[in-house]
Amino acid sequence: MTAVPHMDQRLDAFLAGRRRGKTTRTLIYLVIALLVIWSVKTTIVDDTDWERLGSVSDVLASIGNFLAIDWGLMPDLWQPALETIMVATLGTVLGVISCIPAIWFGALNISPFPPITYPIARLMMTLSRSIHEIVWALFFVAAVGLGALAGVLAIAVRSIGFIAKMSAEAIEDLDPRPVEAIRAVGGNEFQVFIYAILPQVLPVMVGVIIFEWEINIRRSSVLGLVGAGGLGLVFFRQLNTFNEGGVTAVILAILLLILFGELVSYFVRKAII
Amino acid sequence: MASQDTLSVSEVTPERTWRRFKFPGSLYRYLGLLAAVAFLSLSVNYLNIPLDRFLGMFGRVGDLITDRYYPPDIEYVTDPDYIASVIETIQMAYLGALFGMLAAVPLGWFGAYNVSPSRRFIYPIARLLTMSARAVHETIWAILFVTILGFGMMAGVFALTMFCIGFAGKLFAEEIEAIDMGPVEAIRATGANEFKVMVYGIFPQVRVAFTGIGIYTWDVAFRAATVVGFFGAGGMGWYLKRNVLQIETQRVAAILLSIVVLVLISEAISAFARAKVAKAK
Repeated sequence: MTAVPHMDQRLDAFLAGRRRGKTTRTLIYLVIALLVIWSVKTTIVDDTDWERLGSVSDVLASIGNFLAIDWGLMPDLWQPALETIMVATLGTVLGVISCIPAIWFGALNISPFPPITYPIARLMMTLSRSIHEIVWALFFVAAVGLGALAGVLAIAVRSIGFIAKMSAEAIEDLDPRPVEAIRAVGGNEFQVFIYAILPQVLPVMVGVIIFEWEINIRRSSVLGLVGAGGLGLVFFRQLNTFNEGGVTAVILAILLLILFGELVSYFVRKAII
Repeated sequence: MASQDTLSVSEVTPERTWRRFKFPGSLYRYLGLLAAVAFLSLSVNYLNIPLDRFLGMFGRVGDLITDRYYPPDIEYVTDPDYIASVIETIQMAYLGALFGMLAAVPLGWFGAYNVSPSRRFIYPIARLLTMSARAVHETIWAILFVTILGFGMMAGVFALTMFCIGFAGKLFAEEIEAIDMGPVEAIRATGANEFKVMVYGIFPQVRVAFTGIGIYTWDVAFRAATVVGFFGAGGMGWYLKRNVLQIETQRVAAILLSIVVLVLISEAISAFARAKVAKAK
C-alpha cells in the first residue's frame, strides 16, 4: 500500500513538468506570433507602395508577361551557359588550391602552432562564408576589372570556407594509426601527409568538392549581374530591355544547367567514390 | 638450416611490380585526368583570363585594401538609419524563413518518397517545386519580385521565402525519408487518413529535427538577406549598393565588417539554439 502515494507523487511531478513545458511552449509561440505581426507591419504593410502595385489583376498581368517565354532566345544561350560552367569549374579548382593552407591551419591535430594558426584559419573560413558571392564579385571587379577573372576569383574565395571546414573536420576525425605507422618507418612530414592523411580524407574531400561545384554553377549564373560574364549578363540585358519572356527563358536555361550539373556530379561521384 | 630445400619467392613466381591501378582502370583514370586538364586550359583560353597578370593581382588586391578600404568608416555603420536597416534585414530574414518553412513542411511531406500521399503525381511535382526554388539564385528571385511587386521589403520577404522553400524543403524531405516506418504503419492500420498519418505518425518523429533545421534556415536566410537589398528589395543591401556605386570604399569596408560581425552573431545564436533544442529532445 505504500507504493501508491509514492506513485502519486511521481505522477504529480510528471504532470507539473508537463504543464511547465506547455507554458514555455505557449510563451515561445506567443513571442514568435508577436514578432511576425511586428515584422509584417514594418516590412509588408508600411514599406510597400500599394498604389504603384495596383490591383490583383495588375500583378497577375505583370506575372503573365513573364510567362510568355521567348523561345527564340534559347539558341543564343549556349555560349553564356558554357561560360558559366567554365567560371564555376575554374573557381572551384582555384578554391580547392587556395584552401589548402586553411585546411592545414584549421585542423587542430595537424595545425603547426594552434594558438595562432587555428584562429587565422577560422577567420579565413568565416570571412569566406559570411560575405555573399555578389559582394566578393564586386570587390574583385574593382580589383581586376570587368570580366571572367573577377567571377572566378569571387567563386574561389567563396568556396574556401565550406571546403576547408568540411575537410578540416575530416582530418580531425582521422585514424591516427596509419600516421604513426608511416612515421615509424621513417617517413618525413610530407610523406606522412601523402601516404597516411590524404588517402583517408580524399573520399570526403572529393564529395565536398563535387557538391561545392554544383553550388558554384548556381552562383556563377548570377555573377554576370555585377559584371562577371555568363548567363547573369544575358539576364540583366533581357531585364533592362523589358523583354520579360527572355528573362524567363534565361531562368529556364539556368534550371537546365543546374540539372545538368546535378547529373554530372551524380556520375562523377559514382565513378570516383 | 633448411635453406637449400626452400625456394625463394622470386624463383616460384615471376618478378611482378605492384601498381595501384591495373591496365584498363589506369587508362580511364589518365584519360579522365587529361580531359579535366584539357577542359581547364580550354576554359582559361576561352574566358581570356590573363594568367600573366594573375600573380601581380595579389599585390594589386593588397594595395586596394590598404589604400582605399583600410580605415573602415565605423561611424557610418553606427548611424541610426543604418541600424534601422539592419533591423529591417533581420525582420525580412525572419519572415522569409517562417513563410518558407510553412510552405516547406507540406512540400517536404509530399516530396518524401516513403510517405508521399501519391508517388506518381504529387511526389514529382513537390520535388520539382523544391528543386526550382533552390536552383534559382536568391538574387534572381529578388529581381523578379522587385519587377512584379515594386521596390520595397515585400519583394525581399518573398524572395527569401522562395529561397527558404528550396533550402528547407530539401532538408525536411530528407529528414522524413529517414524516419522509422513502424509508427506510420501503426497509425495507418487504425484506418487513419493520410493527414492523420502525417500529424500522429510522422510529425512527432521529426519535430526536433525540424526545429533545428528551422533555426539553421533562419541563419542562412539572414546571410542571403544582406544582399537582396542590392536589387531594390530593402534592408542593408541598399546601403551597400549605394556606397559601392559612389565608390565610398571606406564606408563599403565598414558595411562589410558589420555584415561579418552580424553573421558571426547570428551563427552563434543559431548554434546555441540548436544545441538547446537537441538537448530538450
